[in-house]
Amino acid sequence: MGTIFRHTFRRSRGAILGWGLGLFALGLMIIPIFDILADQQEQLNQLLEMYPPELIAFFGDFSEIASPSGFLGIEYFSYMPLILGIYGIIAGSGLIVGDEENGTLDLIMGYPLSRTSFFIGRVLSVFLTLISIIIIAWLGIGIPSLTTESFSIHWGELFLPFLSLLAILLLFTSLALLMSMLLPSRRSAAMVTGILLVASFFINGFASINEDLQPIADFLPLKYYQGGDALNGLNWNWVAGLLGFALLFVLLSWWQYQRRDIRVAGEGSWSLLDTFRRNRRRTFPKSSSTMESSS
Amino acid sequence: MAEPLAIHTQALTKSYGRVQALFGVDLSVKRGSIAGFLGPNGAGKTTTIRCMLDMIRPNGGTIKVAGIDPQADPVAARSLVGYLPGELHLDDNMTAEGALRFFNALRQKQAEWSYIEQLVERFDLDIKRPIKNLSSGNKKKVGVIQAMMHRPEILMLDEPTGGLDPLMQREVLRLIKEARADGATVFFSSHNITEVEAVADQVNIIREGVVVEVVDVAELLTRALRRALITFREPVDISALIQLPGVSLLSQDNHTTVELQITGDMDTLIKALGSYPVVDMQTTRPSLESIFMTYYETEKEEVS
Repeated sequence: MGTIFRHTFRRSRGAILGWGLGLFALGLMIIPIFDILADQQEQLNQLLEMYPPELIAFFGDFSEIASPSGFLGIEYFSYMPLILGIYGIIAGSGLIVGDEENGTLDLIMGYPLSRTSFFIGRVLSVFLTLISIIIIAWLGIGIPSLTTESFSIHWGELFLPFLSLLAILLLFTSLALLMSMLLPSRRSAAMVTGILLVASFFINGFASINEDLQPIADFLPLKYYQGGDALNGLNWNWVAGLLGFALLFVLLSWWQYQRRDIRVAGEGSWSLLDTFRRNRRRTFPKSSSTMESSS
Repeated sequence: MAEPLAIHTQALTKSYGRVQALFGVDLSVKRGSIAGFLGPNGAGKTTTIRCMLDMIRPNGGTIKVAGIDPQADPVAARSLVGYLPGELHLDDNMTAEGALRFFNALRQKQAEWSYIEQLVERFDLDIKRPIKNLSSGNKKKVGVIQAMMHRPEILMLDEPTGGLDPLMQREVLRLIKEARADGATVFFSSHNITEVEAVADQVNIIREGVVVEVVDVAELLTRALRRALITFREPVDISALIQLPGVSLLSQDNHTTVELQITGDMDTLIKALGSYPVVDMQTTRPSLESIFMTYYETEKEEVS
């Protein structure tokens, strides 16, 4: 497990540097803007009144933009699940199936390594990668906040919305992993999870201006992502709930990985469809012999 | 007492959805032997090997690798095995050295690096180069080295010489023989019948998911099974000949030339031929290739 963990984490160095440094730079650029915005609050409010409510719905209450928590919520945390979620989905969907599709898993699983060890090593590695990116991003916000006079939030407190962000990322990463275990290919797993992420983002946004959507939004993960609001008090129950579902998805993925065949390479087929066909065949047995496809 | 069989499968079946790949594979490979696994494409060779390593789960039957059920304890079974996949894929972003060190770490550094260096030298491989810059033949060398570097008890090699030049093919066959001399069991699939015949003690021929023939190579070379091409001066009735024990008719031409297959000694046939006007008789031992082609051609006929 240790070898797999180290090897996979080493492979993620590029992602950590790329995503981490990108977000670090974004933080460095955004925080100094807060002073300017705070000075020009009145003009900004006039400008925001012209914005359509549908747009404002996605980014939160613009009247709060003069407060550090409102500013961070609108300018940073409102879209962060979408941005980092894409990385999480790509990483989660390819965590095991990526190697299976490119054929390297066949050789690795020929080694004295249990499927559980391999699975845990991989999952820990991707989770640590996400945590590393989040920590670097937090430093990108925390360091300039120390030198921005009007930014009255303690740098340690700034980690609370990042915790909320981490929880939602772990959930989507785990869901993508589960989808990759159930669906025939990495592409389809990433696509399905990606659609859910984007739909969750839009439905959750529109739900704030259309109450009819609220019951649907209640079932979507982004409803329980606080973003900048976490600075006013982190809802630990929501974080625990998101992490609980992430754990459930990981366990289901592990269970499925234990049971399934490992492909030599390439994408799989729709197993549910195969099961259906098998059942049909049992009911109406064919007399002709079947052809082989693998050697 | 150690399990006398290194590999033992009984009635192994496997299907992929609607496609039945194995119909009941029975294999028995003795410890310390080299067993070849021959069969046309799609016969079930790779599926059988992957079942033995618990990468795929059979639908029925039993498997024992050195007495261990790989489904019950895959780690224990794989710890005894060095495996070379038929379709070898390596992490392109690593160097060959990095890949070998990683594989060695997966076995808790069981292989001595000095031995790995010996193998690298024998294969004339530059391990400092990234995998992505290696030719397919050189990648195959990395695959062979990783399978052999920890001196496993059992080697499972799926097409070990495929993609290698003749010199390197010979080197691999030499390594296989050396491994056997050191007490290892080698189970390898191949399309090259000549090389299988050259190194294997036993050859298992698989066709359409069933082992159709198990050939003891030494026995094949020394005993028993012969083919006789007999020419008569005039057309004769050979029904008496083909009723002799161990004699079967392979072909007949105008009742003056017949080809017979004889199992056992030739004494009875030669005595029976005393009453026939024999002009000429040539005997040959069938090669492994001719045995294999018998099954292969039967399959092709059925398909067409």
